[in-house]
Amino acid sequence: MKTKKILTLACALALLIPGMTVGEPNVSNDNLVLLPVPKDPTISFRIWFKVGSQNDPKGKEGLAELVASMLTEAATTKNSYEQILEKLYPLAAGYSNTMEAEMTVISGRTHKDNLREYYPLLIDAILAPAFKQEDLDRLKSQAMNYLENTLRYSSDEELGKAVLYNDVFAGTPYGHITTGTIEAVKSITLDDVKEFYKKHYTRDNLVIGLGGGYEPALVEQLKLDLNKLPAGMVAEVPRPQPKPADGFHVTIVEKDAPATAFSMGYPMNILRGTKDWYALAVANSWLGEHRNSSSHLYQVIREERGLNYGDYSYIEHYPGGGQRQLPPQNVGRRVQLFEIWIRPVPNETRHFSLRAALREYKMLVENGMSQGDFDLTRNFLKKYVLNYAQTTMERLGYALDDKYYGIKGSHLEMFREMMDKLTVKEVNEAIKRYWQYGAMNIAVITKDAESFRKALVEDALSPMTYATPKSDHVMKEDVEIVKFPVKVKSENIRIIPVTDLLVK
Amino acid sequence: MRQRIPILLTLLFCWGSLVMAGSIFPYTYTIETLPNGLKVIMIPMESPGLVSYYSVVRTGSRDEVEPGKTGFAHFFEHMMFRGTKKYPGPVRDSIVTSIGASGNAYTSDDITAYYYNFAAEDLERVIELEGDRFQNLHYEEGVFQTEAGAVYGEYRKNITSPFAVLNEKMKELAYDVHTYKHTTIGFEADIKAMPQQFEYSKSFFSRFYRPENVVLVIAGDIDVKKTLGMVKRYYSGWQKGYVAPKVAPEPPQKGERTLDVSYPGRTLPILVVAYKWEAFDAKNRLLAATMLLGELAFGENSDLNKKLFLKEQKVQFLSPSFPTNRDQGLFQIYSMVKKVEDIPYVRDEVYRTLEEFKTEPVDAQKLSDLKRRNKYNFLMGLDTPSRVTGSLARVVAVTGGVEAIDELYASFDAVTAQDIQNAAQQYFVPERRSVIVLKGAQ
Repeated sequence: MKTKKILTLACALALLIPGMTVGEPNVSNDNLVLLPVPKDPTISFRIWFKVGSQNDPKGKEGLAELVASMLTEAATTKNSYEQILEKLYPLAAGYSNTMEAEMTVISGRTHKDNLREYYPLLIDAILAPAFKQEDLDRLKSQAMNYLENTLRYSSDEELGKAVLYNDVFAGTPYGHITTGTIEAVKSITLDDVKEFYKKHYTRDNLVIGLGGGYEPALVEQLKLDLNKLPAGMVAEVPRPQPKPADGFHVTIVEKDAPATAFSMGYPMNILRGTKDWYALAVANSWLGEHRNSSSHLYQVIREERGLNYGDYSYIEHYPGGGQRQLPPQNVGRRVQLFEIWIRPVPNETRHFSLRAALREYKMLVENGMSQGDFDLTRNFLKKYVLNYAQTTMERLGYALDDKYYGIKGSHLEMFREMMDKLTVKEVNEAIKRYWQYGAMNIAVITKDAESFRKALVEDALSPMTYATPKSDHVMKEDVEIVKFPVKVKSENIRIIPVTDLLVK
Repeated sequence: MRQRIPILLTLLFCWGSLVMAGSIFPYTYTIETLPNGLKVIMIPMESPGLVSYYSVVRTGSRDEVEPGKTGFAHFFEHMMFRGTKKYPGPVRDSIVTSIGASGNAYTSDDITAYYYNFAAEDLERVIELEGDRFQNLHYEEGVFQTEAGAVYGEYRKNITSPFAVLNEKMKELAYDVHTYKHTTIGFEADIKAMPQQFEYSKSFFSRFYRPENVVLVIAGDIDVKKTLGMVKRYYSGWQKGYVAPKVAPEPPQKGERTLDVSYPGRTLPILVVAYKWEAFDAKNRLLAATMLLGELAFGENSDLNKKLFLKEQKVQFLSPSFPTNRDQGLFQIYSMVKKVEDIPYVRDEVYRTLEEFKTEPVDAQKLSDLKRRNKYNFLMGLDTPSRVTGSLARVVAVTGGVEAIDELYASFDAVTAQDIQNAAQQYFVPERRSVIVLKGAQ
């Protein structure tokens, strides 16, 4: 106990006296990402642990997320969660976690004035979680409610994405959403939480991210404090090797849905930092820039035909898409996903809408981009990416991601540079190399699943009528769309009632 | 798991957290009004070559006074992206695309806002495009009708949420004649009929999209003099002509209203307790006191939240909502309750808490902690041009300017424990109350 008190005193001194050295920490400079912004009156922390839902033990899917929440939304050995909330409250500060398949990041931000009060709370959350049963009960109840009710019933778009992700990566460490499954979450005990924490939250398994108007002493302090975590190397999870789809594989979720939601895609072996990735970023932006009317799918399905609210595509995993305008940080993956998201369309136009989306995608894969579209899109992206990281916290997030992907320099700077360097020929070659048409998973949330199954198997025509007149161009294109072949083998279609989803 | 807080609630709280933010605006701003009545608020601030440009129209679903026209303000927001004769939709889209602007728009009860965030070098281009569409919007009937389909799609994507259902039902229950009786997205029947409203849409534009009813908020890497010059160049020809809608005032409520709502999907039950509140007036100390009370009584650090959410674990969450409105708005308390049989208990705990605030003065430490929190929220929240413009948009729509922020914070500073007691006694009475319990399918 004495040692601990002395250390605490040393910590306090270090916070007070810039430049003071307080011992030789083991957390090496290699595991440090610093983004000093002297004029910033706030300090941003991102403490990254190399753990995520891919580390969930079999039968305990959802454990990694619960453990992260047990650090950031629960008691420490020094304070009850109630006391923590009380202490953070006047500071208008907090900390939270973002966790995904491979990364868990505990992040927080405080005004410089409040660092002395804030820092011990943040560091205790990581070093000294209390792991109380009452906190676990509360967090499990939230996770269960999300799986049993919210996800199944209140957002068909999010449900469609969850089904797609689980299907594409089935049988791999990415094969379940971070919240896990109902039976697995139910079975998680405090011992599971403690064991997982002990194994994965080690000083050898972390990277410190610090940004904003901090004093140099804070870096030493963080190293010293996080060095109190036990040593321990964590064996790397084998790289997921999803089974390549042969043809279209469709999961139809049967529920009394007022409209039909689609998510479709396949795994993709290309990561940011390579020239081909930026080439695909151009093609993808033209096809389906997230929440942007420049998206071609958006133009065809929403703008010209008014069938839904939006249509987008992705070359990186993009969780929380319904709630964000710009890409998230710290959701890095070793295997990525190509994804098309069609927001809910009227049930009677579901077959037509699916055809319209796949047809556009096929044309891009086969014909590539035109010089004009290429020029427009690269000019767009060159400036648009300026919006990606406006705050210190966001820039720090990107800096951690650069480390995750092994990018020397900055992904966002490289992104802008590549927009000047790339040619349309290179983009079209990258499309040929990495994209393919005809083999993908399709998740559908709809009602009367059987009739849709039948229509897909028979590749039946999907005649389209509109309540209001449409242009000649649209009517002419529709003649092609209604018969565009999307034939699916009967054995490749699975119908599942919504109540059977996410159970185990 | 924080991302699971329903979007509807976070939207309602946006203003709650802004007004709790602080009393001194950290940037120097310049306000100019053109002879045609267009007000321009310019806020130069350090930002790496970025500008945020907001066009705030002081019209929202509140202004939908004619029967059968609910949802029209929001629908019209969609039409604003359809271009002009000079820059038809696709041309406009390709210009916006070529400058890499990140933009969008939204509509609420008292506001329709359009925004772009972009590189400072493109400021003139944006001012030209925005000035053009606000004056010269042009679309054909076919395009108008197609866009109605996209709006219906937006309705369909939202309506699967129990919170969307609740919002619709609460407005209908609490109001008799005021246009706050309907949601911003509108009634489904009216959305379905939108394709037939082409002529009406022109009159909507002509009455509400006028310079006296619009405020520009421009923040970031800008030069005030040059910016104002460009605004004058591209907006001075805009003719006056705003016709204020005749929004019927809501008569005083006579007695409590209750409603049980069933939701076709599965959900844990949700309880909403709402009280008729007050039109926003930054100088009204009682109103400021009610906002502080909302945080103290039902916020994250409140005794009741600690009791119901952390200790007893009877609820998934407890949250207050007190959006500021041009006319009499609603102060609401939301709670998702784990067991149906606990609903009366949770409801009574809400009532008991409000009774305590009527009779007992608030703890001085808690009040001062809240004031300190406000200060830091404020200092930390306005760090990028888009956050500054985004935070100011609603106060601009509701009051017509930004002066109300300082006035409101002066009111907060002046609030005493007695004011909070007075506010509780004034507003939290059964005669002003509407209560909804939403239950899902079994």
